[in-house]
Amino acid sequence: MTDEIVENLKRAIIRYDTKEAEIWAKKVVQEKLDPLRAAKAITETIRQIGEHYGQGELFLPELVGAAEAMQRAMPIIEEEIKKRGEKRETLGRIILGTVYGDIHSIGKNMVATLLIAAGFEVKDLGVNVPPEKFVAAVQDYQPDILGMSALLSTTAPEQRRVIRILKEKSLRDKVRIMVGGAAITEKFAQDIGADAYEATAPGAVELAGKLISD
Amino acid sequence: MAMRGFKLNTQPLQLLTQEQVEAIHQGTLKVLSETGIRIEHQEALELLSEHGCQVDFQKKQVRIPEYLVENCLSKVPSTFLVKARDPKNDLKIGGNTVYFTTFPGMRIVDLDTWKSRPATKKENADAVRVLDALENLHKILCYTPYFEVEGVPPVMAISESVAAKIRNSTKFQLTGYGRHCELFNIKMARATGCEIMGQCCASPPLTYYEDAIESAFRFVKAGLPLHISTGDIFGGTAPVTLAGALVITNAELIAIVVLTQLIKSGTRLVVADFVFPQNMRTGSPAFGGIECSLHHVAFNQIWRGKYGIPTNIASVGLSSSKKIDFQCGYEKTSLALLAALSGANLIQLHGGVHGEITYHPVQSILDDDIAGMIGHFIEGFEVNEETLALDLIKQVGPVPGYYLNKEHTRKWWRKEQFLPQVADRLTYPEWLKKGQKDALVLARERMEKILATHHPVPLSPEQDKAIDEILKEARRYYQQKELI
Repeated sequence: MTDEIVENLKRAIIRYDTKEAEIWAKKVVQEKLDPLRAAKAITETIRQIGEHYGQGELFLPELVGAAEAMQRAMPIIEEEIKKRGEKRETLGRIILGTVYGDIHSIGKNMVATLLIAAGFEVKDLGVNVPPEKFVAAVQDYQPDILGMSALLSTTAPEQRRVIRILKEKSLRDKVRIMVGGAAITEKFAQDIGADAYEATAPGAVELAGKLISD
Repeated sequence: MAMRGFKLNTQPLQLLTQEQVEAIHQGTLKVLSETGIRIEHQEALELLSEHGCQVDFQKKQVRIPEYLVENCLSKVPSTFLVKARDPKNDLKIGGNTVYFTTFPGMRIVDLDTWKSRPATKKENADAVRVLDALENLHKILCYTPYFEVEGVPPVMAISESVAAKIRNSTKFQLTGYGRHCELFNIKMARATGCEIMGQCCASPPLTYYEDAIESAFRFVKAGLPLHISTGDIFGGTAPVTLAGALVITNAELIAIVVLTQLIKSGTRLVVADFVFPQNMRTGSPAFGGIECSLHHVAFNQIWRGKYGIPTNIASVGLSSSKKIDFQCGYEKTSLALLAALSGANLIQLHGGVHGEITYHPVQSILDDDIAGMIGHFIEGFEVNEETLALDLIKQVGPVPGYYLNKEHTRKWWRKEQFLPQVADRLTYPEWLKKGQKDALVLARERMEKILATHHPVPLSPEQDKAIDEILKEARRYYQQKELI
């Protein structure tokens, strides 16, 4: 039975089925199965999908579909882990968002999905995120890394604003900051006082690994 | 179940008015009945004479009356099946189906120096193996890929080529002729349980030599399909005016339509348009000239549209460029797209680089993407309740709604979008990271991958032995004739 439920959960993600993913995640809790095992099965499944994407066998619609099914299941499992006073092993906690005034989500979603696939815990703040919201999230979640995306040259300065506020609130040293998006360059990242810049989604995963181990 | 190929799901592109088509047709009838065609083949002359043609046996000139032309044109099947070695690769030629086929080159071109040299036997076999793997390549032509192969006497080139294709691919093939090699080629096809298409080419203007006609007789009598072709050059072997050139092409091809249908009514035919403008500076054909397309489009309108006979557009797969480069790409793509849009049933696109001189499997891989693009375009798209997606549009609404994460997108995107195999489609930063590769580099990589992994269904040991025996027989035949 245990195996069957976990297998069904994995299958729901592979089939991009958000409803089924939610149903089987709830079943995990109801049947009092080990939530850590379920979480591991989910991340392993999404890691495999990420790999197939990296090899050019799957594409964005599938990657995003799997990520959405996972995002439906994971909070249910995580709540149960918390309830039991246990802790899920991850490579680190990352907060992501597209800056204020910018509604471009696809690149940021790709980064989020590939980070999760690699084993990070990701809190996605969405798009058009006001600086205050980034700052509050850094305070509340205490992430290892804050990632900000901006596609437009007109919204890129928002990244500078977030960093300035973090400095004012003495939070800047508590988090590593990585930035990306089509409007961003290495030089801009340095100018605004970010820790690192990356242009591609797979590269962002590598970079996050480096930032955490530094 | 034949290979699907692509379907032209729209009215074919037309250049001519009905009056213009009629003017070319009437002109053709006049040329056939007044000027006539020179046919250097006694049996053909006698057969045509028996059926009401006016034959000058001394000049070997045949004047064909209108009624015979109309009668024979109506006997050619407008669609027909041909059998490949593997039944899944059978072809159903005609109608609105578009298949892609190859264009040969005499030698292999070096991808770094762009100089040509004879191919080795292994390179020849490998080039066929690549063709076997390409998803948008449906038929392999004669001589393909190379007709100058190290260790192969010229007189054996065609038969060795047929053997290499049978051994390294299960796709359907066309063979050349000359010095009676077609006898051995038909035997090889029979020994391996497939059909083979024969060929008969004019020597323009208005002439057929004996070996071409002998080939036609042999294939038709064997019950095999035949590909008939001209080679007109506007301003060289045909009038420089497109309309006049179309009359010459028509007259040359119709003469063989008449002959083949008299030998055996209902013989399966493909008519090939292999034409070029004369390059008025060098004297060679102007490969890749857009005038080819003016002729091709009108040719499709006349032959597929008016006569209902399947067409093969030949002068597409070769460029004036010596390199696999921008010019080669735009010449081949423009001509292939116009051929497809105007209703060609077969398009010779894959592999040829410069003017019948060079070929390369990397080019065939690049051409396979062109074929896929064109095929995707001519198929059009569906308009129905599901594709209109009105419910979905309502559900998603304005920003921040989007479609990338929708089941509808996952279901439809692969059908609605063509994915090229080797085109560079990376983002700029990814491209920088991944070695700044262009399509040519990526095609070279795909070739290596195909050669490492693709193994066509082999012949049975008995079939393989039979091919060896037939090739030995051919060698003995040519040794006796002191041609080897």
